[in-house]
Amino acid sequence: MSILKLQMRVRHAEGALVRVLSVTRRRRFDLLHLAADATPDGAFLDVQMTVQAERAGHTLISQLAKLEDVSEVEILEPTDAERGVQLAGQGA
Amino acid sequence: MKGAQFLVKALEREGVEVIFGYPGGAIMPVYDALIDSKIRHILVRHEQAAALAADGYARASGKVGVCMATSGPGATNLVTGIANAYMDSVPVVAITGQVATSLMGTDAFQEVDIFGITLPVVKHSFLVRTAAELPEIVHEAFRIARSGRPGPVLIDLPKDIANTVAEYEFDRASKSETTPAPSHQSIAYAKQLLRASERPVAYVGGGVGMAKAIDELKLFVETTQIPVVATLKGLGSIPTRHELALGMMGMHGTKAANHAVQESDLLVCIGARFDDRATGRLNGFAPHAKVIHLDVDPAEISKLRHAEAPVTGNLRDSLKALAAPLDIEPWRRKCLAMKESNVWNYDAPGTEVYAPDFLKRLSERAGENCIVACDVGQHQMWVAQHFHFTSPAQHLTSGGLGTMGFGLPAAIGAQFAFPDATVINVSGDGSIMMNLQEFATLRRYELPIKIVLFDNSALGMVRQWQELFHDRRYSEVDLSDNPDFALVAQSMGLASFRVDRRSEVDSAIDQLMAARGPVLAHVIIHQEANVWPIVGPGKSNSEMMDEVAL
Repeated sequence: MSILKLQMRVRHAEGALVRVLSVTRRRRFDLLHLAADATPDGAFLDVQMTVQAERAGHTLISQLAKLEDVSEVEILEPTDAERGVQLAGQGA
Repeated sequence: MKGAQFLVKALEREGVEVIFGYPGGAIMPVYDALIDSKIRHILVRHEQAAALAADGYARASGKVGVCMATSGPGATNLVTGIANAYMDSVPVVAITGQVATSLMGTDAFQEVDIFGITLPVVKHSFLVRTAAELPEIVHEAFRIARSGRPGPVLIDLPKDIANTVAEYEFDRASKSETTPAPSHQSIAYAKQLLRASERPVAYVGGGVGMAKAIDELKLFVETTQIPVVATLKGLGSIPTRHELALGMMGMHGTKAANHAVQESDLLVCIGARFDDRATGRLNGFAPHAKVIHLDVDPAEISKLRHAEAPVTGNLRDSLKALAAPLDIEPWRRKCLAMKESNVWNYDAPGTEVYAPDFLKRLSERAGENCIVACDVGQHQMWVAQHFHFTSPAQHLTSGGLGTMGFGLPAAIGAQFAFPDATVINVSGDGSIMMNLQEFATLRRYELPIKIVLFDNSALGMVRQWQELFHDRRYSEVDLSDNPDFALVAQSMGLASFRVDRRSEVDSAIDQLMAARGPVLAHVIIHQEANVWPIVGPGKSNSEMMDEVAL
């Protein structure tokens, strides 16, 4: 089980955030944290999301990146605390 | 101009000639606007058939298929067809009526959140908020549906927006999109792997046809002399009678195809996605092979099988760039010898109709330009095994979703795309009942579709699995109370006849080919006829089961 922390810029369009979450769930990634803030002009949402899964992170990144409403997606380094959760999850 | 008129005008500007649909309350303004349009509306008898006909139209023509339905049940009836297009990457635009915006979220009559329901099975979707944005939404919907990896797009149109009068200038510049070329670096590394390979195999999927890369694939294959295996959707990308074509791979693939893949040291995956029906047990698939993966969709690269050489971008450019002679003659000869020693045997015992033999003969009579739309089940696999195709657009089959009932509406869509083409629907007694009401559509438009209905009085593929893998514990597969399909067809205005014996096959095919209008051949086959060979569940493609006496 690995933890993945993502930063995305998502168009503030009908259902855009639901679409992101739907892809995340369908690709078998569990949501641990989600925060979204509208950009000052209201055109986009800046989304921070932490997920965990047994699957490789790139499989989710590439699926999110091809959503029409997602303009940017990048992986952030997990914090030390998140690494701790990851190790605990692996029975360390 | 009203929103509904904007919509219709925008569809005309996208070159739409045909819409498959079914009217109802919330979509009525659009049907009113259609009266004054040159777009032809085809009235089907169930909305699922509208979506599947749009899918068949798109597959056969390479254009975007369009379907339309009203809100609520009209919209939900489209969902299977939309999902079918999504799974097979078919460009379809689905337009649904919606209750007025003031009623949305109030559980109004025929209100359903079709935008939300379809989120997992569309490439993108729009809920129209103002009439003035409709032309741009339509343009975007078509661009998204056909660009990159194609797929379905939904436009949900509230009734009040359709009735709103607004202004719009139609001369705005339109966006266009080109598929990026592969990187020089990725091509260089792929070439390096090709040169180092002694036993390469080209594994070809539906992406080749969608990318219109047929000529480039032929160039690549004939230059490199790499043997070719195809997925169900890849069949015809290289002519199935081409010397280097080893046939379909996977669960019901040919021995030559599966053995070549299993022995290969390099798999050149071209517009395919390592689907489980093609690979069998994934960790036993092509165990000695490195992978070059050519695809327009980066999300498919290394999704299921690691690609040593990912080549993302336009398949036409990628294939041209990789076409260089290779020194693989011993391997080529070995593959062709495997193919020669595993030819189909059409001499089945008995006097009953043998479906593979029927289809082989029909294929020979129908010629190279016919279009075959299959349903799902045993007959679908027999078509894949025994029909010959020179283009993937000739073979309309529900590969990803496996939608029983796909065949007849898809054939309708194909016939509207090519009114003069010979269009054949091969179906089974289970599948045909899923969209049987469309016989009325054949009659209404006098579509000369030739239906070959194989009737084994059972859900044949499920019965076969229960026989082989569930110790013959048959559960809910008996269809011996089927109606007389020939009579049903006659009652709905189709010509029809019954075929009981093998000796009647040639005259049956004569009758089918001579018919000028819709015709159904009700072909009786043995209930225990099975599809061979087969790779069992959880097995690798090295473990193919031959026909066994059970």
